[in-house]
Amino acid sequence: MSLSQETLLSLYETMVKIRTFEERVAEIYYEGKTPVFDIAAGPVPGEMHLYSGQEAVAAGVCAHLRPDDPVTSTHRPHGHLIAKGVDLKAMMAEIFGKDTGLCHGKGGHMHLFDPTLHFGCGGIVGGGIPHAVGAALAIKKRGEDRVAVSFFGDGAANIGAFHESLNLAAVWKLPVVFVVEDNLYAISVPKSASTAVRSNAERGAAYDMPAVQVDGQDVLAVYEAAKEAIERARKGGGPSLIEAVCYRFRGHFEGDPELYLPKGIKEQWKQRDPITILGNQLKAQGWFSDEQAQAIQDKMTALVAEAEAFARQSPYPAPEDALKHVFVNV
Amino acid sequence: MAERLLTTAKAISEAIAQEMERDDRVFVMGEDIGAYGGIFGATQGLLEKFGPERVMDTPISETGFIGAGVGAATEGMRPIVELMFVDFFGVAMDQIYNHMAKIHYMSGGNVKVPMVLMTAIGGGYSDAAQHSQCLYGLFAHVPGLKIVIPSSPYDAKGLMIQAIRDDDPVMYFFHKGIMGLGWMTPNPRATGPVPEEPYTIPFGKADVKREGSDATILTVSLMVHRSLDAAEKLAQEGINVEVVDLRTLVPLDKETILDSVKKTHRVLVVDEDYKSFGMSGELVALIAEEALDYLDAPPKRLAVPDVPIPYSRPLEQYISPSVDAIAQAVRDLVAE
Amino acid sequence: MTPSVGIIANPASGKDIRRLVAHGSVFDNKEKVNIIRRVLRALDAFGIPHVLAMPDVFGLVLRALEDAQVNLNVDFVDISLTNTGEDSTQAARRMVENGVSCIVTIGGDGTNRVVAKASRDVPLVPISTGTNNVFPSMVEGTLAGLAAAAVALDVNQVRERAVHRARKLVIAREGKPIDLALVDVVVYDERFVASRAIWDVEKMRTLVLVAPHVGTIGASAIAAYLPEMLTAQGHGAWLDLGPDGRRVLVPVGPGLIAPVSIRSLRWLEVGEGGRVLGAPCVLALDGERENPVYPGQDVIIYLSEEGPYVVDIQNAVRTAIEAGFFVI
Repeated sequence: MSLSQETLLSLYETMVKIRTFEERVAEIYYEGKTPVFDIAAGPVPGEMHLYSGQEAVAAGVCAHLRPDDPVTSTHRPHGHLIAKGVDLKAMMAEIFGKDTGLCHGKGGHMHLFDPTLHFGCGGIVGGGIPHAVGAALAIKKRGEDRVAVSFFGDGAANIGAFHESLNLAAVWKLPVVFVVEDNLYAISVPKSASTAVRSNAERGAAYDMPAVQVDGQDVLAVYEAAKEAIERARKGGGPSLIEAVCYRFRGHFEGDPELYLPKGIKEQWKQRDPITILGNQLKAQGWFSDEQAQAIQDKMTALVAEAEAFARQSPYPAPEDALKHVFVNV
Repeated sequence: MAERLLTTAKAISEAIAQEMERDDRVFVMGEDIGAYGGIFGATQGLLEKFGPERVMDTPISETGFIGAGVGAATEGMRPIVELMFVDFFGVAMDQIYNHMAKIHYMSGGNVKVPMVLMTAIGGGYSDAAQHSQCLYGLFAHVPGLKIVIPSSPYDAKGLMIQAIRDDDPVMYFFHKGIMGLGWMTPNPRATGPVPEEPYTIPFGKADVKREGSDATILTVSLMVHRSLDAAEKLAQEGINVEVVDLRTLVPLDKETILDSVKKTHRVLVVDEDYKSFGMSGELVALIAEEALDYLDAPPKRLAVPDVPIPYSRPLEQYISPSVDAIAQAVRDLVAE
Repeated sequence: MTPSVGIIANPASGKDIRRLVAHGSVFDNKEKVNIIRRVLRALDAFGIPHVLAMPDVFGLVLRALEDAQVNLNVDFVDISLTNTGEDSTQAARRMVENGVSCIVTIGGDGTNRVVAKASRDVPLVPISTGTNNVFPSMVEGTLAGLAAAAVALDVNQVRERAVHRARKLVIAREGKPIDLALVDVVVYDERFVASRAIWDVEKMRTLVLVAPHVGTIGASAIAAYLPEMLTAQGHGAWLDLGPDGRRVLVPVGPGLIAPVSIRSLRWLEVGEGGRVLGAPCVLALDGERENPVYPGQDVIIYLSEEGPYVVDIQNAVRTAIEAGFFVI
């Protein structure tokens, strides 16, 4: 499968969709929270962790996934879910806590579940990694060629669940791909202070699985690495580990003053905007124009606006609904 | 026709085997549950019958394999995962109470986790502080887990089949002292009649194991046996004790509890878990809220004191509710 | 002028998708730290007072210094890290400007390639790490350090006797040299650099070799296992690949043996080469995709004898032994 014009345009669209969604959510998030920041106030209360800057990883990996390939994600899930093909309206409504949201307002931004896309996420670092192993276990038992993918960060690569999951996946030779999004910081702690090895790709050897490090800002590099890993898993070749080095353009959470970052590094990172990088690659091939770029941007702006309108107009769940859905049946 | 007498361990493994035959989505995972048949015999015979694909021995990776159970369940399988000792929950509690218990709720009811997490509880044989706990109170406290605690072979089979068929996450606690293990202190109540055909016992239905009128004992697990033994002693003294085996803490059979209290007017909770902030306190609160006027005496609790479980036999005997201690507590209750 | 030795260690580990397909091993950074430490101790033992090193985000040299217990001074060149091959080129440029006697490189073909862009007449002491390398040698770090010390002190005219100039392939666009390769260039039928690795033999259109090496693994193997290569020492080679040619079955990657069809083969003398046809395509230099070629661009590849200077480590040590360098 070569990198065709169609593929590249699709990757471009996905990244723009994610960026547009995230930047709009950022604006909405601050509504009602000024002049003094009150985390509980406004239409989108609570914490918010946005994916801007890391779009190439979600787009490059999910391009190879089918709707029924299970994906587990993290506290920073929007990019993965959008790349997987979620209905933006239902997702936005969930972020607004509305009854029409993916989880009827029960989960919110960090606990988005879409069973039609076999997607789950949560706020416990590393919590979803074993779930991907379990999904892969179910796939293997049924003899299917689906693949499970687990996205998590450089911080999660140091928690027990990561190590146990990689070992289990290798011992049982499961169709799962582990994707470490190394954005160089776990909240405020740089990777050099947290991780004994210099690249998590080195950890693949500890669990007898192929591992690779790629430039996470270059969607084509991610695309190629993911293609090999996912195809390998589909054919019964077992698990792989991909470390994608990427940049988080916004803070760990919205409101993060990022005092721990070295001066000027943000500006340096923004020089490597994955959308711009792909756009330039497309233009160099004569496959893209500024008009096309604008058309795509307009399309995504409209889609996000539609989702926002839907979310705002949707009703909240009834307060007593808080007592529902503990069990399937009591 | 002679009744079939099975140990609790055999009853559990039979339940699992019958469900595995009926439904190929059911599989078992855990440490030493395959070739060994489970350290406490709960999975004996399963590997020979179903093979290693469906009866999987795992590495020592509780977060990994309990989490994998959650993931497989969300993908439509029906895993039974064994946590060897409940005391080991600490290394995997996140997967249990933040994921297994909550994914259904957080997804607004859209995702199901039809998983059984079974685990061995209880002491009395000098396995000390890290291998003798009960802890069901801790798990009953967090919303989203059904808590099942059989005391007899008959109940064990029916409740296990129910657990496997239930679409919710179920924690199933089997006491080591009721399993009928050859290497444990013999316990006649660990063996009992079990029908061959599959059957279920609904959750949220306590079982009055012995009827009485003078006092109610509310209890679970091994303490059911000790309460029954105490009741036999007390019967000879003219005190008739009703022993209510709760069987499930979540859901809780409030009706049977309150009916019994309204009948006897005196209640003793016997609990092998730590006394404070657990099952015994919960039951007393329930009775105080809903049946206060029916009591002729304050409710009594006999539980393991708030100390880690000691090793030395006289020390452990002291802290675990004995038959004599139960009988004395009832006498004190009735005397008030 | 006080003798000074440069050290450039390539920290890039795992940046090679072939490890997903071809079961290669990972030469981890811990091993690199060990090698650097040995080099430092050898230099120190023979009185080299100064080392100039390339900084890297993994701190390889800093970590080597931790337990090295050496007296020499280590300074780091002042470059802003891009975490690409450009860092090594920049570092080499600075080292040359600062007058180092030689540069010890620790890495694979790729590392030496980017260093060679700027090393000029400063000889390299190449220590091999990484998968299937042709240019650097699998030599123990201490030994390489001894050779570097001998070169720094110019013992027994070692700089004339044990240093040779390697050949290279020059890539020129519109007449201007834009890049070089020390081992081979593959014209690869893909438009993008992407993950850099080349692994799909079907997409290789042309292979240009500096020199055939018996027993190599990689794209060069396509030529190296032809019987005529055994007698073709001293020549470069240009092979056009494609269907209906002469078929070989060769190791194109570690554990990856594939059939390849060769349509034509010609030897290259110095100065000879050819034009890149089939744009859009990508040129892979020494095993990594590097330069996209767009339709309409005039790109040629030719063999040059003006490659980097390289220390023959065994020879350098022998030359030093001859002069009693090791007798104190």
